[in-house]
Amino acid sequence: MKKNKAFIIGFIAPCALSLLVMYLYPVVRTVIMSFFGIESVTAEVSDWSFNGIDNYIKIFSSPTFQRAMTNMLLIWLVGGIIVLVLALLFAVILTSGIRFKKFFRAAIYMPNIISAVALATMWIQYIYNQDYGLLNQILGIFGLEGKNWLGTDMKFWAMLGAFIFGAVGYYMLIFISGIERIPEDLYEAATIDGANKVQQFGSITLPLLRSIFKTNITFWSVNCITFYLWSKMFAPVSTEASTIVPVVYLYDTVFGTTGNVQRDAGAGAAVGVTLAIFVAIVYFIMNKLLKDDDLEF
Amino acid sequence: MKKKVISVLLATAMVTGLVAGCGSKGNDSQGNADGEYSGVELTYWSMWSNTEPQGKVLQEAVDAWEEETGGSVTIEWKNRDIKNILASALEAEENIDLFEDDYNRIANNYKDYVADLTEMAESAGYADQSYAVLNDQATEWAGFLPCVTEQPQVGGVFYNQDIFDEVGVEAPTTWAEFLDVCQKIKDAGYAPMALDSTYAPFFFGYHLSRYIGEDTTSQLATEGGWASNEGVIKAADSMIDFVKKGYLVDGAPDEYPASQNKMALGDTKAAMVVCANYVTAEVNNMVAEGEDPLNWGVFNYPAVDGAAEGVDQTASYVGANSIAVTKYSENQEAAFDLATFITSGEYDQKMADEASQIPADPSNTAPAAQNGTVEVLSGTSSPLTWNMGLNANSDLISQIQEVVVRLYEGDITSGADFVAALDALY
Repeated sequence: MKKNKAFIIGFIAPCALSLLVMYLYPVVRTVIMSFFGIESVTAEVSDWSFNGIDNYIKIFSSPTFQRAMTNMLLIWLVGGIIVLVLALLFAVILTSGIRFKKFFRAAIYMPNIISAVALATMWIQYIYNQDYGLLNQILGIFGLEGKNWLGTDMKFWAMLGAFIFGAVGYYMLIFISGIERIPEDLYEAATIDGANKVQQFGSITLPLLRSIFKTNITFWSVNCITFYLWSKMFAPVSTEASTIVPVVYLYDTVFGTTGNVQRDAGAGAAVGVTLAIFVAIVYFIMNKLLKDDDLEF
Repeated sequence: MKKKVISVLLATAMVTGLVAGCGSKGNDSQGNADGEYSGVELTYWSMWSNTEPQGKVLQEAVDAWEEETGGSVTIEWKNRDIKNILASALEAEENIDLFEDDYNRIANNYKDYVADLTEMAESAGYADQSYAVLNDQATEWAGFLPCVTEQPQVGGVFYNQDIFDEVGVEAPTTWAEFLDVCQKIKDAGYAPMALDSTYAPFFFGYHLSRYIGEDTTSQLATEGGWASNEGVIKAADSMIDFVKKGYLVDGAPDEYPASQNKMALGDTKAAMVVCANYVTAEVNNMVAEGEDPLNWGVFNYPAVDGAAEGVDQTASYVGANSIAVTKYSENQEAAFDLATFITSGEYDQKMADEASQIPADPSNTAPAAQNGTVEVLSGTSSPLTWNMGLNANSDLISQIQEVVVRLYEGDITSGADFVAALDALY
C-alpha cells in the first residue's frame, strides 16, 4: 500500500504541479493585480501600488468599456438567436432524410476549417467592398444604390454577419449529434398516433435537445466573451469603437494602442477578472435554468 | 532483439532531434577573427521579418558588419508583434543587446531599460549621420538619447505630380490655395482627395493642429470641454465645408486601403492623400503590371486663417522606427556601432531604395517615391505626433476617432454638432 501511495503521488505530482504553476498561479496573480496600479504586465511586485477597487471603478465608468460590453452583449443576444436558430433549422433539415445530406453538412461546416483571418478578409474585400463587393453588386442589379457596409453605422452589423456565417456550422453539428441520438421509434410511434412533423419537432425533438441547448448556449456565451479575432480583423490598423469588444479593450489597455503608449496592466487585469466572472455567471445560470435531462430514452 | 534495435534507433533519433533543437538559431556567423569586435556576440531583436525588404537589407548589413568587425550577431525576427513582447523581455533582462521599435515607445515605455547613447553618439559624430529633429524629440521624451533612427517617417499631403502638371496647379501653402487646387482638380475630372477611415483622425488631427496646436488638442482630448474652444468649431466647419464640396473620392471615407488605392486604380483617380510617407510605397504596389509607378510629390499641410495665436503653421508629423541598445547589454559599444552601421552610409541607402523609405542618414538620397519627404523632414523643427493630440486620451481614443470619421461621412453637419458629439463622450 505504501508503494502504491508513492506511485500515485509520483504520477499525479507532475500534472498537479503543472496545473498549479501554469494555471492557478496566473489566475491568482491576475486577480491580485486587478487591485493594484501596475504599468507593465510583468512589472516587479515592488513597483505595484495598491489601488483598492479603483481599477474596477475605472473600467466600469469608462465609456469605451461600456461600449465594448454593449457590443459583446449584442453579439451574444442577436448573434446567438440567429446562430442557434439557423443551426437548429439546418440540423433538423439535414436529419430529415434529405438527399446530399453529407454534402450540405460539409458545406455548412466548411467555414470552420478555414482560417478566420482568411474568412474575414474575404468578407471585407469581396462582399462588403463598396465598389466591387457582392452585396453592392446585388443591390445594383435591382437598381438600388450601394452602401458603405463598413462605415461607422454598419460596421458592427457587417462584422456580426460575417461571424455568424462562420459560426453556424459548428453549432449545427452539435445539434445534429443530439438529434441523431433520439431513437427513431419515438417518431414512428408519434406518426402512428397522427402527429405531424411540426408537432413531432415541438413535442419530441425540442424537449430531448435540452442538454444540447445547454451545451450550445454555454459554448456560444464563452465564444462571445472571448470574442477578439473578428474585431481585430475588421479594425486592423487601430481599434475602432464600432467593433470594440472587452478583450480588445483589455489588450489595448495592457499593451497600448497605435499612437498612444500609455499602459495599465492593473485595469487590464480587472477586465480579465470581470470577463472570467461573466463566464462563471453564464455557466451557473445555464446549470440552474436548464437542468440535465431527467428523461431517459 | 529486433524490438531492442528499433528502440535504440528511435531513442537515438529522438535525442538527436532534441540536441539539434537546443542549438542556436541559424543567423549567426563568425566574421573577421582580428576585427575590432572579434569574439563579441550580439543578439538583435528585429521588428521586421526576414522575407520583407527591410529584413533582407538588415541581414545584408549585419553580415557585412560581422565581416568587417569580427563580431557575431544573432538576429531574431520578431515582426510587428515585438511591441507586445518587448516590455516583458526587457524587464526579465532577456538576452537582447539591441532591438527595433517605434521611437515613441522606446523613449517613453522602455527608457528605463535602454542605454544612454549620448556619449557614444558624440564620439562617433552621430549628429552628422542623423536628423536632429528625431534625436531631439526622443531625448526630450526620455531625458537622454535612447535610440538611433532607422526609418524616419514624415506626414503631409502626398500627391500625384502628373495630375498636378496636367491640371496646371502647384503645391499650395494655405488652406484657401488648397481648396482652389481641389476645385481645379475636380473640374479636370479627377477626385481631389482619397481618405480611408483609418487615416481620418490623421487628416483632421493635422487640420485641427493648424487651428489650435497639438498641445491644446491633447488637453481637450484628455479633459473634454471641446465646445469651449472656438478653434475646434472653426476647424470642423471648414472640414465639413471641404467634404460638402465633394472633394473626397467616391466612397470615402473607405475601409483601408480601398480609398488610397484609388490613386492608382479605378476610373476616377484620386490626386492626393493625407498620410505618412509609407503610403507612396503602398499605393505603388497597387499599380497595374506594365504601368509606371506614380510620380509622387509631397507638400506640408496647408496653413489656415484664423488660427489661435502662436500656433506653428509649419509643424509636420514626424515619427521613426529606431534601434535601441539595452541598458544591461555587456557590449553596448559594439551594439551602438552595429546600429549606426545599419542606419548610415551604404546600407542605409540600400534600405531606403529597397524598402522605398526615407534614408536615416541625411547624406543619402531618398528614392523617387519619397520625393520631397527629406525637405519636409529637414524643415520640421516642432514635430507633431501621430493624430496630433487626438490620441492623448488612451481610454477614449477609439470613440474620438469614430466621431471624426462620422464628420467625414457627412453624419455631422456643423462644427457645433461635432464638439457636442465629442463632449458627450466625457
